[in-house]
Amino acid sequence: MLMPKKVKYRKQQRGRMTGKAWRGSELAFGDYGLKVLEPGWITDRQIEASRVAMTRFVKRGGKIWIRLFPDKPVTKKPAETRMGKGKGAPDHWVAVVRPGKILFEMEGVTVQDATEAMRLASHKLPLRTSFVKRESAAH
Amino acid sequence: MATATENNVLESQPRTPGNKNDARRVRRGGKVPAVLYGAGKEAVSLSLDPRQVSRILHSQTGYNTIFDLALDGGERLKAMIVDWQYEPIKGALLHIDLKRIAMDRRLKVEVPIVLTGESAGVKQQGGILEQVLREVEIECLPGDIPAAIEADVSELVFGKVLRVSDLPHGDKLKFLTDGNQPVAHITTVKEEVAATPEATAAEAGAAAAEPEVIKKGKQEVEGEEGAAAPAKGGEKPEKKEKEKK
Repeated sequence: MLMPKKVKYRKQQRGRMTGKAWRGSELAFGDYGLKVLEPGWITDRQIEASRVAMTRFVKRGGKIWIRLFPDKPVTKKPAETRMGKGKGAPDHWVAVVRPGKILFEMEGVTVQDATEAMRLASHKLPLRTSFVKRESAAH
Repeated sequence: MATATENNVLESQPRTPGNKNDARRVRRGGKVPAVLYGAGKEAVSLSLDPRQVSRILHSQTGYNTIFDLALDGGERLKAMIVDWQYEPIKGALLHIDLKRIAMDRRLKVEVPIVLTGESAGVKQQGGILEQVLREVEIECLPGDIPAAIEADVSELVFGKVLRVSDLPHGDKLKFLTDGNQPVAHITTVKEEVAATPEATAAEAGAAAAEPEVIKKGKQEVEGEEGAAAPAKGGEKPEKKEKEKK
């Protein structure tokens, strides 16, 4: 599962997710990509599940890039605990995404395979997504 | 190689340069704000028809198309698109940068690289063709800008790299990108192995571990927190006892 090696602080506040993804919203590596259309948190488990779904489908056929990293800790209180007594312990990691962000990219497969792989990956995610592909080389 | 010059005209209307509210008003009117600069003259703010711009960007010569820009006063001049921004979700054009072009002066442009043919590394060795560099910067006269630089990758195998210096070009073009920079190579990807229960357990254990905290005063902060917590905890039971009574 993806997580940071070092952090400056163990816990974070939730923050806001206003605006659009002005950075990381265009294909940078591959020919096909999966773009998210709404803001939200994507957990490390969801990223891993999407990656596994894609790699199993394309087998050895294509190369995959993961364009998001879960660098935000989410805390959780133990079950059946009374409220108070401070913030809970870090539980998992999430990536904050804003609409327009490219989540995954792929290369070395046909457009049909890429579409299907991205469809499988999108089913592991809690947000609406759309499949994007690079325009022809000469635009 | 087809040159990028085309006989098409882009109509433009002048607009008063302003802040983002003015730009939004232009967009709401169905136009896209643009700016024209270059050739040592002052920058001019314009508004353009996004469909005309889109047609140029999606033409065979793409963003390197040199066209006639018709200004409001009827004046026409040669220009090209040097930068453009898309809205990240719906992909609508937001802003265009145009540059005045002198047809007798060399200019620097980025030209797309198109890989042709099926490489031997993919066909026979089962690898994946990875294109590392998609555009190459060149210097040439505006009339000599190619639509794309085509590179044949049919002989590309494992361990061999197609570099910028290997790209075909005539005497009219000068590559500005470093000749050693790789354009494409054959790579391989490890197949996903189905996870065993032991591996899954090990991974779960690793996930449970917290990352290292890189703060100097970490120990002190934790000590303070630890000291503060019992104090708070100490108050609350008393309150509960009072409530019970």
